[in-house]
Amino acid sequence: MSEERADVLVIGAGASGGVLSATLAAQGFSVVCLEQGDWIDRTMIRGGELDWEVTARKQMSADPSERCAPGDYPIDSTESEVLPLMWNGVGGSTLLWAAGYPRLHPSDFRVRSLDGVADDWPLRYADLAPYYRGAEAAFGASGLAGDPAYPAEDDEMPLPPLPIGPAGWKLAETHNRLGWHWWPAGNAIPSKPYRNQAMCAQRGTCMTGCPEGAKASTDLTHWPEAIRHGAKLITGARVSRILTDSRGLATGAEYLDRDGVLRFQSADITVLAANGVGTPRLLLMSADAHHPDGLANSSGLVGRRLMTHPFAVVTGIFEENLDSWQGQFGAQINSQQFYETDADRGFVRGALWSLSPTGGPLLHALPQRAGDQIWGAEHHASFRRRFGRGAAWSIFGEDLPDEENRVELDKAATDAAGLPGAKVRYATSENSHKLIDFHIAKATESLRAAGAVDIEVGKMPAYSGWHLLGTARMGGDPATSVVDRFGRAHDVPNLYVVDGSTFVTAGGVNPTNTIVALTLRTADHLVRTRAEQAVPL
Amino acid sequence: MTTSIPGPSGLDVGERATLADLADLLLPSAHGMPAASEVDVQGRGLDRLLASRPDLLEPLRAVLARAVGRPQTEVLEELSAADGEEWAVLTLSVAGTYYMDPIVRELIGYPGQTGKVINDAEFVRMVSDGLLDPVLERGDIWRPDGTD
Repeated sequence: MSEERADVLVIGAGASGGVLSATLAAQGFSVVCLEQGDWIDRTMIRGGELDWEVTARKQMSADPSERCAPGDYPIDSTESEVLPLMWNGVGGSTLLWAAGYPRLHPSDFRVRSLDGVADDWPLRYADLAPYYRGAEAAFGASGLAGDPAYPAEDDEMPLPPLPIGPAGWKLAETHNRLGWHWWPAGNAIPSKPYRNQAMCAQRGTCMTGCPEGAKASTDLTHWPEAIRHGAKLITGARVSRILTDSRGLATGAEYLDRDGVLRFQSADITVLAANGVGTPRLLLMSADAHHPDGLANSSGLVGRRLMTHPFAVVTGIFEENLDSWQGQFGAQINSQQFYETDADRGFVRGALWSLSPTGGPLLHALPQRAGDQIWGAEHHASFRRRFGRGAAWSIFGEDLPDEENRVELDKAATDAAGLPGAKVRYATSENSHKLIDFHIAKATESLRAAGAVDIEVGKMPAYSGWHLLGTARMGGDPATSVVDRFGRAHDVPNLYVVDGSTFVTAGGVNPTNTIVALTLRTADHLVRTRAEQAVPL
Repeated sequence: MTTSIPGPSGLDVGERATLADLADLLLPSAHGMPAASEVDVQGRGLDRLLASRPDLLEPLRAVLARAVGRPQTEVLEELSAADGEEWAVLTLSVAGTYYMDPIVRELIGYPGQTGKVINDAEFVRMVSDGLLDPVLERGDIWRPDGTD
């Protein structure tokens, strides 16, 4: 069954899919978006309720293998040190993200030239800067211009920074004494009411959905606007493959609707926005006689160079109460003191530190990142020493690309529509281990200097694959990249990718600001080149 | 004949008694905190948990069955040493229920993840106190990309 042809077909209704659909619909494009999941039932967001923490570990888990929701597909992570984390539904992973919203840095786009490893991007920080401002406006970002960790910008952030709280103040004073960098963190969480977003209420439950509707998620920020401009969002739609014609152009996507009926959505331009696991999965599922290794895969790199961010959390326990269950769980302050490469450290690249709340009581009884379970009489004494008295540095390190880290199809495990799952293979590099060990030591030094009486370290927990990057990398050479600098597939001139799959390097920061900025840049490109764009007959 | 306690979970008297015994070993009365059974972890508390997490019912029942007629400390040592799904289910059920209890929350000084109204007073103070000045005085720390 075929549907009316659209100007643009977007696959995935998350951060990039929502932003692209709204932007193009507002420019007069007819847009259809296919999303395998559904609109979230906001009664599932339990942040203000008694059962918040117990539901966080199941229904609102970011691990699709734990959640097993109707919109999920199986992911085999048995040969991965990191669990891929995501939400499949309208809003995508923005439903569960922490909303930390830093930019990449100029050096992040030039890793080969500066540090002799990985590759350079086919664009510079300066090319993306205008779109970063657009990304920050798109998501109601709160923050403070003038951070010395970035080139000076003339524009202010849309909204002033969120509170840094007692823990943030303590660590800010400490870093001033140490002579180390810190800055109020940028978050995609409004400090005042902003468009469709409410003002942050500081609950600290960001990563299980925002009860206030403050934290940016595209079901709130973009989809109402997109639909108002005529975009059509079809949920419960599982894409089985993207088809091409004899000229090598994408003609659209076959999908199974929620009743299992096979349909075809045709379009002039097809755009993948299905994240660093979902996008390569769909490209590989689109293999045919003309594309035996998957669509857009003449380079052999679709699915390869998977990058996450090696992650650690270092928690300092203090004698005084800090009410540390409360506050935005993006970040209160950041430190980039050790972000840029210093080869004397024995590794290259660096990490962003984000100071975050330390969770509710169940997380202290049953730690998931750092700390041990203690039972019996000593449980209560240990609990009282730690609960509400923590300050935690979350460390995201840069992950260097490795072709052996990859996403493949798993035909042995299928989703509810019988479509193959994904298999993820990922091993942490020696550089990452050295990097993380260094940063753990430095974060410990920071917290001790602040007066912490105890330190708990969680090094590289498996539940840390929030950022899924690099599996359809951009570049200028079709032999060594999948898409060009605008996300257009080298092999298929009307097929684009706009999610984190296109990243050349990971940087050591949360990626969503960059994902949205790249999406806005691609949208701009599609508008400007509309007349010249090759489309199916 | 077993008798079911009215409530959504359907666990019987014996199962609940077993849970209470295990829970009191994990979370006994100490340091000013009540034992798990004192806040009815095995009764109303459990029903509240299972209303939110019905997926825990059968795995929890299986764990409790394993403990019947055996020294509870021995069962806990076994489960803890294995550190598998059964241990995870039991500890989540006990701790999850315990820390939802209002008496426990009062004692630990935890009002829940309450919302609060924010304003810019802290930011104003940050600026007036000069908290950012040392950072700014040290200057830029970003690395040029070599393309200028």
